[in-house]
Amino acid sequence: MTGITWGFKSLARQPLRTALSLAGIAVAAAMLLDMVMLSGGIDKSFSDLLLRRGFQMRLTPKGTLPFDTEATMAGASGIVAALRRDPAVAAAGAVLGTSLYGRTGDSLVTLFGYGIEPEAQSLYQLTAGLDLTPADTGGVLLSEPAARLLGASVGDTVTLVGRLDPQVVTAAVGRSLVVRGMVRWIYDYRGQPSVGTVLPVMQRLARQATDRASLILVKAGDDAAVPALADRVRRQFPQVEVNSVADLVAHFRERLVYFRQLSYILGSMSLVVTVLLIATLLTITVNERLGEIATLRAIGVSRATVVGQVFAEGTALTVVGAALGILLGLVTARRLDAILTSFPGLPAAFSFFVPRADTLTFAALVLLGTGALAGLYPAWLASRAPIAATLRAEAT
Amino acid sequence: MTAPPLLALELRKDYPMNGETVHALRGVSLRVDRGDYVAIAGPSGSGKSTLLQLLGGIDTPSAGTVEILGTRLDTLSDGELTRLRLTRLGFIFQRFHLLPVLTARENVELPMAEAGVRRGERHARARELLDYVGLGHRTGHRATQLSGGEMQRVAIARALANRPAVLLADEPTGELDAATGQGILALFQRLNADGTTLVVVTHDDRLAAEAGRVVHMLDGVIRD
Repeated sequence: MTGITWGFKSLARQPLRTALSLAGIAVAAAMLLDMVMLSGGIDKSFSDLLLRRGFQMRLTPKGTLPFDTEATMAGASGIVAALRRDPAVAAAGAVLGTSLYGRTGDSLVTLFGYGIEPEAQSLYQLTAGLDLTPADTGGVLLSEPAARLLGASVGDTVTLVGRLDPQVVTAAVGRSLVVRGMVRWIYDYRGQPSVGTVLPVMQRLARQATDRASLILVKAGDDAAVPALADRVRRQFPQVEVNSVADLVAHFRERLVYFRQLSYILGSMSLVVTVLLIATLLTITVNERLGEIATLRAIGVSRATVVGQVFAEGTALTVVGAALGILLGLVTARRLDAILTSFPGLPAAFSFFVPRADTLTFAALVLLGTGALAGLYPAWLASRAPIAATLRAEAT
Repeated sequence: MTAPPLLALELRKDYPMNGETVHALRGVSLRVDRGDYVAIAGPSGSGKSTLLQLLGGIDTPSAGTVEILGTRLDTLSDGELTRLRLTRLGFIFQRFHLLPVLTARENVELPMAEAGVRRGERHARARELLDYVGLGHRTGHRATQLSGGEMQRVAIARALANRPAVLLADEPTGELDAATGQGILALFQRLNADGTTLVVVTHDDRLAAEAGRVVHMLDGVIRD
């Protein structure tokens, strides 16, 4: 039996108050965890998303980011060919993104089309059927939402129609294609109906000149070579925008800076709430037990033991509250993530809240530090309780 | 010649109250030898509890000195004084002051744990002490589950835990009914007979009458 054990047992003396305090700490800890996950999760998730298939660089029309506008680059095949000759490049491929329609009976449904080079693609994962081959000008890949809209599955034939331009007199280009496979497009927002064909087919559907592309993806053989390669490509093709994943993450971070600020503010507030909760509870309990503390000091219990007892209570509250808070934080993060990623224009595979070991460790350490900080004043109060005066007051 | 367990010389204690200085003790000297059983008697406000607190090193005198086994308390640091209280003195309070969340055995073990006594040894000693005070059958009960007399017996066992040189008791029967108080008196007699040095503050005439020596206090001084 030590003063620290006494501290732990003391928490059970007021079970309702302890439970309410734990609930408060858990909520504050959950908020802190969510905010820590949010502050680092956006970058991590975006970076992971971009590197999903190992392509570390994106070339886009000057002044744009991938699929930010409908602008396209001229001379895409020449750029791709030049890139493929670079010994530092492991793969390179062009992509065209465009709106188009799918015919279902007498009506048209709006789709998004990707023109890809199957030998160097980083946009999808095959979920059923077969992938396209570079020479497959009669095949198409569908996302689940597109398949539902078109009522098609693997092996069916679908008709895609290029975008209708009211200023162009000629009829829109139509093309019947066989569904080769079902895919999950990595950058699609939730429910986006997307289709993919080899690049020349999509260029014709989009009425684009045959050598235009929205995006060129580049995979370097060595991650360490990416900065030098990016510099070289910038000099070689000054007419295009060259971004490494790190550059894109930086752009993205600038755009979502308010999320980070929000996370800092709310995270700080949750820490303050935690400190106030623990400090208030401990101060109340110390004041209630001044007589006991004076007795302990009188019978020879050291200040260090008394301080340890108060810190033990604070630590016990923090540890249990933090454990509950981490569970609660993970649950609320999933819910919040589902809400935020349903915003239009955000890839469904993107995540705002990314639970990582280092994030959890950081949040747990910050909370423990907070618990210790919160115990400082009550511990000081306990260690400085005047023994004789307190015992006199207790006796009257 | 060995130093007495307790020696107080010319103790004075003043403290402010409502803007005035109260002279709680006005030059008190007291010597307690090994095996003594001293009762400090007197009416409320006579300074007897203040004297006990000074003797026990839980308050500091305005003037004068206290020696425990030859060690002057005013020469000790706070840590050393705390250690001396732990190992050389035993305290018994009017209101028992047990820790309510702990069992009788845990309450008795607390000072031993603080003194660094090993778990097995303190378990055995706590049981032995609780047997001694007649509570061997209540070791696992929490303080809140005990009667007033039982709580005071546990407090006595706690005070004896580290084999103190002197046992200091402040109105130990003040919260007890007559019959229960009588049991505590008998226990004190037995303690003294077994060699324990006792200093008891009381306004209970029966308790004072049991002591080997009675010191009467009035207005902060010893009258006889």
